[in-house]
Amino acid sequence: MIILISILVLGVFGFVFASLLALAADYFKTEEDPRIATILAILPGANCGACGVGGCRDFADKVVKGEIAVSGCVVGGEEVAKKVAAIMGVEGEEIHKKVAAVHCGAKKDQRKLKANYSGMQTCLGANIVDGGGLVCGYGCLGYGDCFCVCPFDAIKMKEGLPVIDPKKCTSCRKCIAACPRKIISLRPYDFPVVVACSSHDKGAVVRKICPVGCIACLICEKQVPEVFKVVDNLADMDYTKSGINCDPAIEKCPTKCILKV
Amino acid sequence: MELFGIFFAAFLINNILLIRFIALCSFFGVSTKIDTSIGMSFAVIFVMTISSAVSWVVYHFILSPFHIEFLRTASFILTIAALVQLEELYLKKMIPNLYRAMGIYLPLITTNCAILAVAFLAIDYRYDFGQSMIYSIGVSCGYSLAIILFAYVRERMALAPIPKWFQGYPIAFITAALMSLAFLGFSNMFGL
Repeated sequence: MIILISILVLGVFGFVFASLLALAADYFKTEEDPRIATILAILPGANCGACGVGGCRDFADKVVKGEIAVSGCVVGGEEVAKKVAAIMGVEGEEIHKKVAAVHCGAKKDQRKLKANYSGMQTCLGANIVDGGGLVCGYGCLGYGDCFCVCPFDAIKMKEGLPVIDPKKCTSCRKCIAACPRKIISLRPYDFPVVVACSSHDKGAVVRKICPVGCIACLICEKQVPEVFKVVDNLADMDYTKSGINCDPAIEKCPTKCILKV
Repeated sequence: MELFGIFFAAFLINNILLIRFIALCSFFGVSTKIDTSIGMSFAVIFVMTISSAVSWVVYHFILSPFHIEFLRTASFILTIAALVQLEELYLKKMIPNLYRAMGIYLPLITTNCAILAVAFLAIDYRYDFGQSMIYSIGVSCGYSLAIILFAYVRERMALAPIPKWFQGYPIAFITAALMSLAFLGFSNMFGL
């Protein structure tokens, strides 16, 4: 008897809940634009926020509403932009892949120290305490904050310097935000030349404290005037001029701080 | 006063996480960030209150009259699982912002042992409906208090120089144990 009752009660339970759920699913049906789900499936799903909104779902939502460009996902790049554009029925504008570049070339044993830092082992901490004992007020501190935040495993620390793998880098800008010294920026993928120095110190000062710093000698500017320009004691590059051969400047640079990466 | 006693005992003295050690999986899983722990807390308060109300009704009006109390585990799980699904559908339609905020925590809670434990305990203590509501609110507030405090500690620990062999879960367990010891200080308060 008790077995029958328990089977009956549980059976009724199951049936009632099942029909309730079925009714509710129909009654509370949310009319969501089906394109949101399709776009969401295409997106990388890293929820990195590089597009400027909170996560991939929000991005898909905003694309469908037309509040953000179809090519807004910097991580997905051209491929994703094309697919999203196809779903939205618009032409995707061209986007050029960019990757991070580190503007410091001083390896750990090349950095001149004025004190030994033993505080919190992060760049953020070291930067607050007078640059972690580094004489150069601009260069890489080498504790790898950028390495820790990179969600795509594109940064490796080598001899105290971050090395960026351009194939893995998605230009999500997390490392740029994490670096307290602001020595990481984006460069076009197809223009693999970087000025590996951020120092605005005068040439004579740089020469004393760093073997690979930019001394603002203007040689690069003379060799390739289209691309290089020395501003405020530091060589600057015009990345819009891709395709111009920078080899003469790279070869003639006396401190070899212009690198081919 | 009696209701206050029930609330206070559930909230601090018999804190579900730190004294009873129930629902430890979510305690360690979602306490790495304050935001996620707050989201989880609200979802737990919401689900726990409603599910203990419904399971009280199920027990006293369906299982007791038929003398099939031994079915309570199966029927409570069934009830709570269906209920959470219903709540999810309702929130998605009616209060989408709240749905977005609770997000993935709602379905996660379906399988949270604290929810089932509260439904059982309220019946074991022979609480009436009002008492069991106060009890479940007390327990869920205690859950929120513990998990949010723990999340604050863990966020600060992320920056602390912890020895390599203690990083991650080991130090989290040690911290939880210390917090649990601290909560033992509430025992016998007001003679509860």
